[in-house]
Amino acid sequence: MIWLAAGLSSLAVAGCVPRGAAPAWKNFGGDPTRGSAEITRAQCGACHEIPGIQDANGLVGPPLGRFALRTTVAGVLPNTPGELVHWLRAPQQVTPGNAMPDTGLSDQQARDVAAYLYTLR
Amino acid sequence: MTGAPIAKLRAQSKAWLAASFVCGGLAAFAALGIGGLLVVQTGAFDVRASTPHSLLVGWATHTTMIHAARNGAARVGPSPPITTAAVEAGFRDYDANCAACHGGPAVPRAPWTGGMTPSPPFLIDASRQWRRAELFWIIRNGVKMTGMPSWGFTRSDPQVWNLVAFLEALPYISPEAYGRMRAAQGTMLRRPCCSPAGSPSP
Repeated sequence: MIWLAAGLSSLAVAGCVPRGAAPAWKNFGGDPTRGSAEITRAQCGACHEIPGIQDANGLVGPPLGRFALRTTVAGVLPNTPGELVHWLRAPQQVTPGNAMPDTGLSDQQARDVAAYLYTLR
Repeated sequence: MTGAPIAKLRAQSKAWLAASFVCGGLAAFAALGIGGLLVVQTGAFDVRASTPHSLLVGWATHTTMIHAARNGAARVGPSPPITTAAVEAGFRDYDANCAACHGGPAVPRAPWTGGMTPSPPFLIDASRQWRRAELFWIIRNGVKMTGMPSWGFTRSDPQVWNLVAFLEALPYISPEAYGRMRAAQGTMLRRPCCSPAGSPSP
């Protein structure tokens, strides 16, 4: 059901926004520069390879290069800003028992992190 | 034109070049010293933990630590064999003393670790990024200016090796198994989300 709703809404968005238009993160209040600092602070790089983040070379979770082009978040959520923010804040709620801890990011911080990830294409 | 004046000119210009090198070097050295002293005396370096390192400082400090650990590890004896008993002992110590800063599989760090610079890393990957002797050296000696204490201060070498054994085993412990180990240990599950991180003080 979530899939269907997300799919329909992204179809609607895709219908209106031409290719190469402003990236999605510009519209949901995230700042990629702040996100980059937040990623360092939260030590995302201990488990993920993240282009553009110093020493982010962990291989516990998936590499996050070209994240903007990914279809799913963690293989279970459609890769939309809203779902990504949800995942970033509460991965244990989405997929209980996966290795990624809840990050303790605030809503704004999660938006900033998402904005950074959406610069990776 | 005779050869002699030209040779003399050449010799003079060589001497001048050498002198300017020496003077330039001294001047640069003095400028560095004065600049360094200025930073020290005016507090111009950003020592706040609430702001991230610059790329240069982050790179320089982290890389220095990596190389120092590599050098230090060369003088560490061979690792004792990794046994179940060592892993279990290491887990008990880790859970009680390390997990607050370093987290675990599906276990977040204490929220205040986000206020540290550098911020302590998760360690699920540690045994893939460091050799055993390096882990031993880091845990035993700690790392200045990172918040990592010298655990050798309160632990014997075999106890430090137990922690290394646990880190070696960590990639093979599933989040679920880790949770069971913590439950058996009686560790209070920390409330995972979200208290202070959202409201950094100005």
